[in-house]
Amino acid sequence: MKVTSRSFTITGALAMSAIVLAGCTAPAGEPGEGSEEPQFEGSLTVWVDADRAGVLEDAAAAFEDERGVSVELVTKDFGAIRDEFITQAPTGNGPDIIVGAHDGLGKLVQNGVVSPLELGDKASEFQDVAVAAMSYEGQTYGLPYSVENIALVRNVDIAPEAPETFDDLIAAGQAAVAEGAAEYPFLVGLDPAAADPYHLYPLQASFGAPVFEITADGTYDPTTLALGNEGGEAFAVKLREWGQAGILNTNISGDIAREEFVAGKSGYFLTGPWNLPAIKEAGINYAIDPIPSAGGETATPFVGVQGFYISSESENQLAANEFLVNYVGTDEVQTALYEVGGRAPALLSAFEAAQSDADVAAFGAVGAEGVPMPNVPAMDVVWSDWGSTEVAIINGQGDPVELWRAMVESIQSKITG
Amino acid sequence: MSNTTPGAQQPLLAPPAARPSGPRTAARSHAQTVRGLLIKIALLGIVDAIALFAMFILVMREEWLVFAIAAVVTVIINVIYLRPGWLPAKYLAPGVFFLAVFQIFVVGYSGYIAFTNYGDGHNSTKEDAIESIIANSLTRVPDSPTYRLTVVEQFGTYGFLVTDPDGDTLLGTPEQPLEEVDAEEDSTGKAVSVAGWTSLGFGDLLANQSIVVDLSVPLSDDPNDGALRTPDGSSAYVYTSDLVYDETADTFTDTTGGEVYVDGGDGSFVNEAGRELQPGWKIDVGFENFQRAFTNEDIRGPLLSVTLWTFAFAILSVASTFVLGLFLAIVFNAPHMRGKKIYRVIMVLPYAFPGFLSALVFLGLFNEQFGFFNQVLLGGASIPWLTDPWLAKFSILFVNLWLGFPYMFLICTGALQSIPEELSEAATVDGAKPFAVFRLIKFPLLLVSVAPLLISSFAFNFNNFNLIYMLTGGGPRDIEAGVDAGATDILITLVYKVAFGEGTGRDYGLASAFAILIFLIVATVSIISFRQTKALEELN
Amino acid sequence: MTNPFNTQQGAEIGDRLNPLVAGSGATDRASRAPRTVQTADGRVLPTRRRRSFGRWFADTGWRHLIGVVMLVFAAFPLLYVLSASLNPTGTLVGSNQLFRVVDFSNYVELFQRPQQPYAAWFLNSLVIGLVTAAGTVFLAALAAYAFSRLRFTGRRVGLLTLLLVQMFPQLLGVVAIFLLMSGIGEIFPQVGIGTQSGLILVYLGGALGVNTYLMYGFFNTIPVSIDEAAKLDGASHAQIFFGIVLRLVAPILAVVGLLSFIGTFSEFVIASIMLTDPQTQTLAVGLYQFVSQETSRNWAIFSAGAVLAAIPVMALFLYLQKYIIGGLTAGSVK
Repeated sequence: MKVTSRSFTITGALAMSAIVLAGCTAPAGEPGEGSEEPQFEGSLTVWVDADRAGVLEDAAAAFEDERGVSVELVTKDFGAIRDEFITQAPTGNGPDIIVGAHDGLGKLVQNGVVSPLELGDKASEFQDVAVAAMSYEGQTYGLPYSVENIALVRNVDIAPEAPETFDDLIAAGQAAVAEGAAEYPFLVGLDPAAADPYHLYPLQASFGAPVFEITADGTYDPTTLALGNEGGEAFAVKLREWGQAGILNTNISGDIAREEFVAGKSGYFLTGPWNLPAIKEAGINYAIDPIPSAGGETATPFVGVQGFYISSESENQLAANEFLVNYVGTDEVQTALYEVGGRAPALLSAFEAAQSDADVAAFGAVGAEGVPMPNVPAMDVVWSDWGSTEVAIINGQGDPVELWRAMVESIQSKITG
Repeated sequence: MSNTTPGAQQPLLAPPAARPSGPRTAARSHAQTVRGLLIKIALLGIVDAIALFAMFILVMREEWLVFAIAAVVTVIINVIYLRPGWLPAKYLAPGVFFLAVFQIFVVGYSGYIAFTNYGDGHNSTKEDAIESIIANSLTRVPDSPTYRLTVVEQFGTYGFLVTDPDGDTLLGTPEQPLEEVDAEEDSTGKAVSVAGWTSLGFGDLLANQSIVVDLSVPLSDDPNDGALRTPDGSSAYVYTSDLVYDETADTFTDTTGGEVYVDGGDGSFVNEAGRELQPGWKIDVGFENFQRAFTNEDIRGPLLSVTLWTFAFAILSVASTFVLGLFLAIVFNAPHMRGKKIYRVIMVLPYAFPGFLSALVFLGLFNEQFGFFNQVLLGGASIPWLTDPWLAKFSILFVNLWLGFPYMFLICTGALQSIPEELSEAATVDGAKPFAVFRLIKFPLLLVSVAPLLISSFAFNFNNFNLIYMLTGGGPRDIEAGVDAGATDILITLVYKVAFGEGTGRDYGLASAFAILIFLIVATVSIISFRQTKALEELN
Repeated sequence: MTNPFNTQQGAEIGDRLNPLVAGSGATDRASRAPRTVQTADGRVLPTRRRRSFGRWFADTGWRHLIGVVMLVFAAFPLLYVLSASLNPTGTLVGSNQLFRVVDFSNYVELFQRPQQPYAAWFLNSLVIGLVTAAGTVFLAALAAYAFSRLRFTGRRVGLLTLLLVQMFPQLLGVVAIFLLMSGIGEIFPQVGIGTQSGLILVYLGGALGVNTYLMYGFFNTIPVSIDEAAKLDGASHAQIFFGIVLRLVAPILAVVGLLSFIGTFSEFVIASIMLTDPQTQTLAVGLYQFVSQETSRNWAIFSAGAVLAAIPVMALFLYLQKYIIGGLTAGSVK
């Protein structure tokens, strides 16, 4: 125990000396207003995930060099940033800038923690869908850097031709299974408890059933569900059919789907660019196709956009704005971000350049048809009911149309609260 | 150790060697007392110095309440250690101090949240909310041009020197709408300075950025034309706002439709139609959250079955992990057994890996089609381990056994060391059977020391959110029955779904109210169980 | 005060327990009786062999059987993690073919990511875990001693409160802890948000509670007469506590220290809000970043990290075992 008490004393002594030091430096920290050379003393704090942090280091260094403002990059878990930021911003201790996916924007605005970002003339230099995604109720809030969506990845050795419709795909896939060329007619990663409404959405959209009604100005109206229209019910019936035919299988998780496709066990895999590295590495001879329509209309995937937001509590609004618009919104940084994350850049010039990569071009072409994933706060409610209902339908419980209707009712009642 | 002959009824108390060894002189004892005193004074001095420093800062910040608390606590600590006697306080103070600050305060604060509407959309103060509403309502006039800008300053007044798209130079301040001026231009035709005003460089801009971004220079005398604002200090855009805040009336007015939003008393601005402006702010709501907790249909419907399962889950988890842990502790307490160290270490493995990782592994093992259990162990069976209501319950308990038995193994191993061998030896000599010795003598003794831990483990499992959430998410849900609760949902996961997954998002106020209610249940059960333990203790 | 299972009698106890646990009622008292060396030596070899195997199994053999079963039970799911860590493109669940590839590149890469400084995390976790464990043992021992040895008003209620406080559902505790620490950080930046010392303080808040109980039960078995004898010798309270009692309760100190270390080592929620700079983060926080995003999951690297992360816990347990098991022997030198 002696050791412990000694270390306690040492800790105490350290704490004391640290306090004394702090006491000495505190007055010096006051910014000298009206002095000869007004020197900005603050620094920008940016919350980013590990991959992004590496890229931003260069931009941060350049910013410090040219603008005299240091940028502190704080690495956080990407998924945790939004909620932690909402908690921390009101205390005044939050960061100046955060990275985030666009579907969390509604929640950020609802909590009043992000400030609008005027892209100025730069707005036209970004993909339209990216800027639209970074907007909420007519106001732009973020600087987008990447756009991503799913598409149909095809194993050319098993399925030499791109299917016209989803029925064609099923026919071709089942033929391949019958011949023994494949083990699964079609692969998509689902969850045994929550299916995956995100991955199944293009098929649903091809029946003309988006999540919310889309208003005249092209944004979602979060109060009016469109899930429950006739198209939605037709989709529900089809889900049951596909589930029984073994086209959709909730036991095949995302990891399993990838593993099986990489092992050459299926001709089709509905997935995003994040799985391409594994597919390439396995030497699969693949092609990227538009998602075939199941219900007649275009099968539009959700487009996910990632970007940077400025805190409404930031004391450094101007510096933050300058950093984002003129240092992160550049060709170099956007290209570098694309290179590390594999997601297509949001900046048009960088996007054009990235087109030289056939995969990016192919995914980009599919994404051009897509709509941004809804960024209204109500989406949190939608996902859970949506997913568990899809599971029940695919696995043959109850009547698909009735389940679908019950789901719409449940979501509606939760949204109106 | 081996000098204890079998059957020797050594007295329980005072093994002779436990006395301090060697002769102890009065002088030495005295020296040690002085040293102890010095250590005490030094430690207390450090504590007091830190406390004084904190109090000094608190005074500077005029945080009187916190200051008073800090002062009282400091005095109490000093009295405890300087005054002779009060021995219990001397031993308890350090731990209790940390407990009070980092646990009791935290519980208290969570309790306080139950009486507020804190949550998504009600996240901060009213001032913050008003500021956000104003900022978000400012929109750039569609297709309006960009003005190139130099921010200028004169006697503490800031102004905009702008070059409009036609190349004209204009100057204005928040009080004085834009007017044409003659200004010096740079090579690109941008006005960079004007007589009588100081132009701000980037460094000056940054040093005054909170002022600069708030500057709003009207285009003309007509406020409907909008005003110039700058997000970056080098370009300005025309903004209009469709919401105007009236400070005296505390209302927002929508300039397009003329609708008035007033503070509705629920922590937000609402119009007559009931439409709320976002964001709102945090207010105290009294017992409203408790009312909602009792009337919420999504909780009340499945309440009975969920409560039963919660108790079953918590009790079975404790029982299974304890039985296995105790059994193993006994098995590996054999002195002549080789390799028991290795066995023990391997058995702590489940405890050494991050819990979420283990849950993910089991998720894979339990997969109906591809999992190891079905595919390899059962030769391709398709047993719905996680999607059948009863099997899912079993699977959860199984995983919890795997996760939890090392803990019980450790504490039982530790607790077994405290049971005097003489007791059982005496009984054996008296002819008692081995199992009887264990059951009648060792087990009750063991139970006295581990019973509180079992109760605590019960409480932990009662609120074991992570395991359920990661393994089944509370499912499988009986989707046809139309209830949100799944077969493996326990109270805390159900509360999570209701308080964080419905309506406007995370509702900390409601969640806290539920937390208090659950706490009351767990505490009641625990106190009752303690009564039993107490009886047990007195029995011995 | 003898250690029940650490003596020859201990073997006997195990023997006696045998029928009930292993279900082999075959070991009758008669076969146990002739136990001395002379008796064994006097027997003919075959008999002795047969007997001694029976004896061996009755004594310890069945324990090995259980040990092996438990080994499989405890370690098997983790083989998936080990397998994934040795496969550059490994996933946790995709395949039942374990150890298809054995390749240590993941372990190498783990230490070559500047944005994810695994080595720093490892060190941080060790330091935070050890300091917290030491502090916890110290605080809990002080409290347990008071509850066990001293009689004062509110003793029972106090004990109960310690346990009850920890039963509050921690669903929201994080928010309160964050606000508290950012408040404290304004006065003492050295222990505010983003500091490891602040995190340790928060952990020490949980030092009492269950730990105190665990120790309390153990303290109660140490005879009060020892204290009294020392007091007669002129020892002060502090001297008795630090010099005598703590040594006698070494096993439970080791258990509490180990539990506290493991708890701290794998704690994620509080550490993730307290520590912001990657260089200061702990293993639990850092590792999670490898797999938190579906689109950039790296199970292979993550598994390698998790495998290495388990080593300190195991090593500490291996080291503390002698105190846990043999502690009493050392304490009451005979």
